[in-house]
Amino acid sequence: MRNSLKVARWEFKRNVKNKSFIISLLLTPVLFILFATLPTLLSGSGDDAEPVNVSVSDPSGIWAEQIEPYLSNADLNWEISVVTASPDEWRDGLDEDESAVYLALDEAALRDGQITYYTTEETPDSFAGEVQLLAAPLQQLNLQNAGLSEEQMAAVTNGIQFNAEELSDSEQAAADSGLNELARIIPGAFAGLILFSIVMTGMMIFQSASQEKKEKVSEIVLSSLTPSDLMQGKIIGYFWLGMLQVGVWLLIALPFVIWRFNDFPIMEYLFVPELALLIVIALIGYLLFAALFVGLGATVEDISSTSNFQGMIMMLPFSPLILIGPILSDPNGLAAQVGTYIPFTSPAVLIMRLSLLEEWPWVEIGIALAILVLSVWLVMKLAGKIFEVGILLYGKNASMGEIMKWVRS
Amino acid sequence: MSEIALTVQSLQKSFKDQQVLHDVSFNVRKGEITALLGPNGAGKSTTIRSIMGILYPDHGTIKFHGEKEGQIPKHKIGYLPEERGLYKNVKIMDILLYFAELKDYPQKKAKERALSYLKKFGLEGKDKVSIEELSKGMGQKVQFIASIIHEPELLILDEPFSGLDPVSQEVFKEEIRELARNGTAILLSAHQMNLVEEMADRLIMIHKGREVISGTMDEVKREYASFKCTIHGQNDENKLKTIPYVTRVEQQDNVSVLFLDQNLKAAEWIRKLPSDIQIEEFRLDRISLHEIFIDVASDRTLAAEEEEKYA
Repeated sequence: MRNSLKVARWEFKRNVKNKSFIISLLLTPVLFILFATLPTLLSGSGDDAEPVNVSVSDPSGIWAEQIEPYLSNADLNWEISVVTASPDEWRDGLDEDESAVYLALDEAALRDGQITYYTTEETPDSFAGEVQLLAAPLQQLNLQNAGLSEEQMAAVTNGIQFNAEELSDSEQAAADSGLNELARIIPGAFAGLILFSIVMTGMMIFQSASQEKKEKVSEIVLSSLTPSDLMQGKIIGYFWLGMLQVGVWLLIALPFVIWRFNDFPIMEYLFVPELALLIVIALIGYLLFAALFVGLGATVEDISSTSNFQGMIMMLPFSPLILIGPILSDPNGLAAQVGTYIPFTSPAVLIMRLSLLEEWPWVEIGIALAILVLSVWLVMKLAGKIFEVGILLYGKNASMGEIMKWVRS
Repeated sequence: MSEIALTVQSLQKSFKDQQVLHDVSFNVRKGEITALLGPNGAGKSTTIRSIMGILYPDHGTIKFHGEKEGQIPKHKIGYLPEERGLYKNVKIMDILLYFAELKDYPQKKAKERALSYLKKFGLEGKDKVSIEELSKGMGQKVQFIASIIHEPELLILDEPFSGLDPVSQEVFKEEIRELARNGTAILLSAHQMNLVEEMADRLIMIHKGREVISGTMDEVKREYASFKCTIHGQNDENKLKTIPYVTRVEQQDNVSVLFLDQNLKAAEWIRKLPSDIQIEEFRLDRISLHEIFIDVASDRTLAAEEEEKYA
């Protein structure tokens, strides 16, 4: 173990000093912040766009009192003016390229419920949707004119709404189910981030083992320690690196996230007991993939000429992606359950499901964890055998047949 | 006789169905340079890798004296493998300190030693550059430093001179000698017979996994160092073979090389040469280790030749 830690420290140190690692370490959260803010910034810049000049013809004098108050809460980019001109006069008075609308609210139109508005070429398409906001106050006005009481008017304008409410043992849970969902997703997202980060650095183990072969250093290193020391050291070293990555990402991104979503007490939702289990799942997932990659790396000297088999294994961490859709639509569905029991998809699927489910399926979690731990043990053992022989096989990539022979020996 | 540091006894190893080592046995002594010789594929690296515990022999024992049975004192051994390289993109000093740390050698002392060796090998001020920025020869010097940074008691060098220019060969040779003088037990495999002849105290030559020659350098020379006589002139090969003490004749155009029995008394033999031999040029030399090596490598062992002659 002492020797493994020496290797771990070395792998950690030499990567931390590596420029490309530092760049990716810092660039990832910056990109995240950029992608999170850019759409808002871009849509924000839409506010500065030319407003639509809405000219309201209001012979009945209803606009200022009855309609305009309804629009005060709506975020409309309208420049409203009440005019007395006819549509033709209005058209003649328009500037070229002006985004403008003429809204005729005459009595006949109100009575028939058919209101015509004239637009120019520059009027945005979104206006057709925005103008629907006027429907409710105008309808209410019509009803009022028909002599309905406030109560009757409310009954007509409110319509019927269906509100879904799930049966739950806890009455309180139903009360603030929206907040609960968020509370579940935050630890899940955090564990997912850890899994993603350490699996990504885990993939660097592949490169490290392969490079060690290519640079012919392994024999010198193995004159001081055993292959299993070297393998364990790499797994531990890259785990530290992954955790450092998570730490730096959080340090940079967390203040931003807290500022951006200041309505939610994120930290309060993050540090809940459930987080511990989610992190354990992420760590077991890391061990599985790290063992896989360290073994695989020892079989490959030239990354550019890897076989399909090795390429397929490199893709394994991404296999849960195909299950995202089915899991989101039904976290207890068949795809979700099958994914829970397959070791390579299990960590990500479990984290996704547990973030979505209100009631955790403890039996399934137990079985999945048992399968995972067993798989880690098995893959570690196989990887150890492959690593021991493969790391010293200089000058060529190992064939599938050779790998099978090492495993059987 | 100096103290034995390592004993290799009856080593056997097979890969697939092919046996690559047959009963190889030898000792490596403190303060001595033992050369492990043999042509490519003779089993030298397999022997060395077995000693280092990188390969497991099928049969035989490897004993490090002063250690428990079956235990390899890795921190006391320095090893320069045949297939060697160093981490790229990493400063030389960092690599050297890492290798010292793997051997549990104090970092401060390692740094001092690294700096002094870099200076000795003409690499002063290169401690902060990465291996990519160095020439191949410089890289090999760094690898050599890496193998001795922790003051090993036993130093195993697999082809230390391969790819080195004569100047660097000389530097390595001198350093290896000095290490031996200071008491390090050294086992080295090499192809450069002239260097081995100059350096080694003891040698073992293996061919196709079998030990063919072994002993101290003096013993081997005494045993195999017979004479060879080179004669320029038109002579009949069969006639030359009838001359006493001639064990074998090699003839090409008008140059004949006569290999002579080791019990030869040179002056007397020259006096008794037949008078009708045509001699335009005449030379009498000792057979060098290089020729013994070539003989072994090309399966013309002296013993086999003798058998052929007296058959």
